[in-house]
Amino acid sequence: MMELFFKPKSVAVVGASGTPGKLGYVIVKNIFDSDFAGNVYPVNPKSEEILGYKVYRSVTEIPGEVDLVVTALPTPKMTVATVQECAQKGVKAIIIESAGFAEMGGEGKVFQQQIVDIAKKNDIRVMGPNCSGIVSRDIVTSIYPIRKKVPRGNVVLIGQSGLLAAGMASDIVENESLNISKVCSFGNKCDVNENDLLEYFGNEDGIDVISMYLETISDGRGLTRIAKKVAAKKPVIFLSGGRTEAGARAAMSHTGSIASNARIVEAAARQTGMIMADDFTELKEFAKVFSTQPLPKGNRVAVITLAGSVGVNVSDLCANYGLELPKLTSETTEKLKDMFDTPVGNPVDLYFSVTKIGFTKTLETTFPNAFQDPNIDAAILILAGFEYTQEAVQKKIIQKIVQDVGKPVIVCMIVGYNKYKNIIMDEMGKELPVFPSLISGVKALSKLCEYGIRKQKLSA
Amino acid sequence: MALNEILARAKKEQRAVLTEIEAKQILTGIGINCTDTRLAASKTEAVELSETIGYPVVLKISSVDITHKSDAGGVKVNLKNRDEVEQAFDLIMESAAAKFPDANIEGVSVQAMAKPGIEIIMGMIKDASFGPVVMFGLGGVLVEVLKDVAFRIVPIDKNDAVEMIEEIKGKKLLEGYRGQDPVDIACLQDMLVKLSDFVDQTPGIEEIDMNPVFAYKDGAAVVDARIILYQ
Repeated sequence: MMELFFKPKSVAVVGASGTPGKLGYVIVKNIFDSDFAGNVYPVNPKSEEILGYKVYRSVTEIPGEVDLVVTALPTPKMTVATVQECAQKGVKAIIIESAGFAEMGGEGKVFQQQIVDIAKKNDIRVMGPNCSGIVSRDIVTSIYPIRKKVPRGNVVLIGQSGLLAAGMASDIVENESLNISKVCSFGNKCDVNENDLLEYFGNEDGIDVISMYLETISDGRGLTRIAKKVAAKKPVIFLSGGRTEAGARAAMSHTGSIASNARIVEAAARQTGMIMADDFTELKEFAKVFSTQPLPKGNRVAVITLAGSVGVNVSDLCANYGLELPKLTSETTEKLKDMFDTPVGNPVDLYFSVTKIGFTKTLETTFPNAFQDPNIDAAILILAGFEYTQEAVQKKIIQKIVQDVGKPVIVCMIVGYNKYKNIIMDEMGKELPVFPSLISGVKALSKLCEYGIRKQKLSA
Repeated sequence: MALNEILARAKKEQRAVLTEIEAKQILTGIGINCTDTRLAASKTEAVELSETIGYPVVLKISSVDITHKSDAGGVKVNLKNRDEVEQAFDLIMESAAAKFPDANIEGVSVQAMAKPGIEIIMGMIKDASFGPVVMFGLGGVLVEVLKDVAFRIVPIDKNDAVEMIEEIKGKKLLEGYRGQDPVDIACLQDMLVKLSDFVDQTPGIEEIDMNPVFAYKDGAAVVDARIILYQ
């Protein structure tokens, strides 16, 4: 049944509009711009034609079968009436994007319950209300215009907040910053909730990473059971909002529900092997690392830097986040010794090598040697935004080494000139996880190692 | 007394809180070691039980109406002979009568003075969304001030129990800090799994508190226990 939301053969948009800028127009336009190849039925009592599609007066007037109905109606009352019509028509999946339901309290709650009752009686699955639906190559139902083609990537982002999901989707698609497959928002989750989606994407081939944002947990026991199964197969990155008392108050006014106890949510994450993110940036950054990098076998890291001080700072951070900086083997240090005036250590300080043979040559020799060392499971590469770095990035020297070695790497960009730094981060960021600070990079890598170690234990 | 009988009796009496003796009977029934605790309705019985159990003993007020026994002056520890037991019995009764004149008092519980061990807390609470959740931590000040505890959602397996104990910051105390004997961690893991299995299979329990549990080189003993039923 969940397939109907993501791979419908026909879709009706109730509350469709011919006026650019209106929500009901954006949704139809988004579907039009996606790869959706099935029948599109805009529904509006007053229009004749929108973007070349014939408009119908009501759902029941549509001649063929309708797999999915998307609604963006101005009042909850009209939405309830539409759900009733959908039941008559035999529709089995509805996305309700309109707000004004349980999150408002009072009457809104009553309207939401009416929807739930009709849906239950008629075996209809409902996503929303108060959500922005789905952004994918196959179909886009978001209320934000998605101007570029959505990638056919390996990451899904699911979340409770409609606008946030829509905003993140446009950011990710526009900037090509994450290889997503779908962004899905489920708002008030009157029916379809995180457990349905987690289970669905857990079983979906081609989805390698699931990122999830929740403000309320619908059924924690179910979540624990499902997440344990899914996280054993693929990483589930989890941001839980409303965890503290301050956050809980905010959640109450936001989604009309009380947040779960922070410690219990954290315990559930530990128990299931979900990876906790602390903010939206991490939700995205961790997904980036997990979706582009292989899993390390352990937590032994090589730090490659051009400045000793940075190496010191990273070493401290690594210790704080459970990463080890082992010595390189004598074979490696022997190979590298001509490049260095001082003994080769870890952090590997490339400064002397760079002064002797230049940046590009150093990258091509020293970096892979240290990275390949059998004592090393992963690497942190620290770069600066200078002209020579940009050259190396554009020649794809780093990207190629990373691919050849086959171990996970994260890149931190901490100093330099914006004119180079921005280009480097954008360009390299399409292929590798690049971080604007040491701590964000170290934290992300530590999560990757943690998951890699856990997975090894599970398969042992 | 069997679990069902205890639960039925509490239900009949419309009680949410079980007595310490009832709680320990239930826990003993599921294979968790508790200090031998028995009810004495009179002073004579208190002495007889003390002799059977062996000195030193602890006397605690036993009343479904008094949850905070120490506050009621209802706990006397380290009683070494008949005289001390008799005196303690009188003091407890007087104090309870003065502080809780309306309380229905069934007597005192008599239990062996447990030999000191590392203080542990173990328990279960019910979360609105996650259902039963088990907890493990270091007891006493460490739980009150540092909240050094770990939670897991029921049901837990052996591996979860291992991780819970690994997770607390004070685990070094369990591993034998400064030449002390390490405690029997396997026993604590086993207790957690038993607790989880029990609450998973027994509906109607709202909270369980085992505080303190004394952990030893060999085994562990629940020194005080509370069970609250769902009303």
